[in-house]
Amino acid sequence: MIKTENLTKVYNGKKAVDGLNLEIAEGDIFGFLGPNGAGKSTTILMLVGMIEPTEGKCFINDIEVARNPLKVKEIIGYLPEDVGFYGIMTAEQNLDYFARFYPMDADERKKRIGELLELVQLDGVSQKVGGYSRGMTQRLGLAKALLNDPEVLFLDEPTANLDPEGVFQYRELIKQLSDEGKTIFVSSHILSEVSKVCNTIGIISKGTLIARGTLEELKNEFGRVGAENLRIIVETIEPLPEIEHGDIINAAYSETKRKVIIEAKSDLRDYISSRLLEEGVKIKEMRMEEPTLEDVFLSVYRR
Amino acid sequence: MEAKGLFNVARKELIDHLTSRRFIIILALFLIISASGMHEGINRYNQQLESYKELISQIKEVEGIEPGYMPERPSIMLVFLFMSRQIMMLGAILAIAMGFDLVSEEKETRSLKSLLSCPVFRDEIINGKALGGTLALVFAMGAALLISLAVLLIFSIVPSMNELAAILVFGLVSILFLLAYFAIALMISTISGKSGSALIYTLVIFFILGSILPIVGGTVADMVCGDQPKSPPVVVTNMSEEEMQQYNEVLMAWSEKRKPIIEAFTVISPNMNYERILNKICSSSSVTTTYGDEAPGLQDVLGRVWKNILALISFSVVFFALAYVKFMRMDIR
Repeated sequence: MIKTENLTKVYNGKKAVDGLNLEIAEGDIFGFLGPNGAGKSTTILMLVGMIEPTEGKCFINDIEVARNPLKVKEIIGYLPEDVGFYGIMTAEQNLDYFARFYPMDADERKKRIGELLELVQLDGVSQKVGGYSRGMTQRLGLAKALLNDPEVLFLDEPTANLDPEGVFQYRELIKQLSDEGKTIFVSSHILSEVSKVCNTIGIISKGTLIARGTLEELKNEFGRVGAENLRIIVETIEPLPEIEHGDIINAAYSETKRKVIIEAKSDLRDYISSRLLEEGVKIKEMRMEEPTLEDVFLSVYRR
Repeated sequence: MEAKGLFNVARKELIDHLTSRRFIIILALFLIISASGMHEGINRYNQQLESYKELISQIKEVEGIEPGYMPERPSIMLVFLFMSRQIMMLGAILAIAMGFDLVSEEKETRSLKSLLSCPVFRDEIINGKALGGTLALVFAMGAALLISLAVLLIFSIVPSMNELAAILVFGLVSILFLLAYFAIALMISTISGKSGSALIYTLVIFFILGSILPIVGGTVADMVCGDQPKSPPVVVTNMSEEEMQQYNEVLMAWSEKRKPIIEAFTVISPNMNYERILNKICSSSSVTTTYGDEAPGLQDVLGRVWKNILALISFSVVFFALAYVKFMRMDIR
């Protein structure tokens, strides 16, 4: 559905995107991560046909974007990071203006706009967009991105400026759109949002894709920060005995001795639970800390 | 290029202009002051008409004398000359006000990205903006002309066919003049990052082209050609024909030397071009004198000022072209 071949963009002699090769399957929710200036937005701008690549190609549904930008724009939706509208017009007027560029007749436009404004909870808002809060503008941006019922959706920082309820509704919407078979490309700094919503994640740094896979795959490959250490947290009802094992690197006990954080070379949960059972100590909670997407990101980025 | 996107943009821009507070206020001021200018022009015209009628009746009373000079009947285009002053000031400001933020504001508000993500070519956007602005200016000038015709009729002045043609040409030339400044404003808006800066740069250019250039042109001509040759003493009867002819030749030579310098500065100033064209148009609609010496027709006059008309058109074309090229290459990030 989305494919790039050696995609490159050079600005003033500097490569913002360098030989990017990417393939995203239909119906996938792809999260695109990277630090500031990594080339995320430049990649998206090329994929949505707003700028031309210096080298390489990109395809949406097998349509080469640079050669047929209008055809591509008819089947995609794009929510930019800093979405803007015409402040002197209402939400409906703004959407109507943009909708006129698509092959829709007047009745279709009106119906679609009504549905979308209801979806983003801007129906009945008669004030001009110039008086909107950032959250309202963001929601209108999402409505605009869905105007043409796109097959592929590009979202750049979609949860920026949204309140918690807005974020929740956004997540529900993304799941719904994915169930409808749409391909969704999300670029975000908010790692927790990406991890909750995306099936596949790509990490870009200095214009190059440096990691790609599902969250589990990335955690397994890159997730452990430091030298392969695992962290096991144990909480008990009675005070803990000393737990010794050759794979334990460090054990930090709380003052009450009812909690311990163990750094180990391997997963010692079976050993620990057997040991505590022998001592007659009841376990309140035992868990192994999984590497988060933040750990993955930092681990990959620092390599 | 698909026309659908172009017309969609032009439609939106035209509606924005016609409904914007800025446009309405400046247009209202322009129409009011033009009407007031016309009123002054009509008074002047009526005064000149009275003087003309008096002179003619005096001449007719004296039988058998053929005067060496026959006064020209004043033309109603004199009224439009007064109106043209308002066009050169307020009309130009209206055109600048319409154009200075057409692109820069879209960049500032980020609406340009939203627009470019729609299936529309970049050139449709810039051409649509130019078209929408042009139509709004045509509307403004059309309104001014209609009001001026209404004012004439109120004062029982009915233009002849010749004069109507001259009024139409006046309207078209005025639109060309306004388009020149609109094009300059649009170009500055495209290259400038901020609307505030775009407005200042455009106003500076307006001031230079409208006020500084005419002065500089005259100064440079004076520096190159020297002062005007002094006229002979007042008591002309003592001057021989030869001396008179000599003086006229010196004066002619001085004027001919000055002319290309003044012309060069005129061509690069929309205001000077506009004034030159209007002065010629107004003189073309004078009525035939009793002696049968016809004033040059409108076609002949336009033939004489074709360079000035071309210069006005060139302003619009060149600056639109610059805006087009810059917009097409603009970095959208």
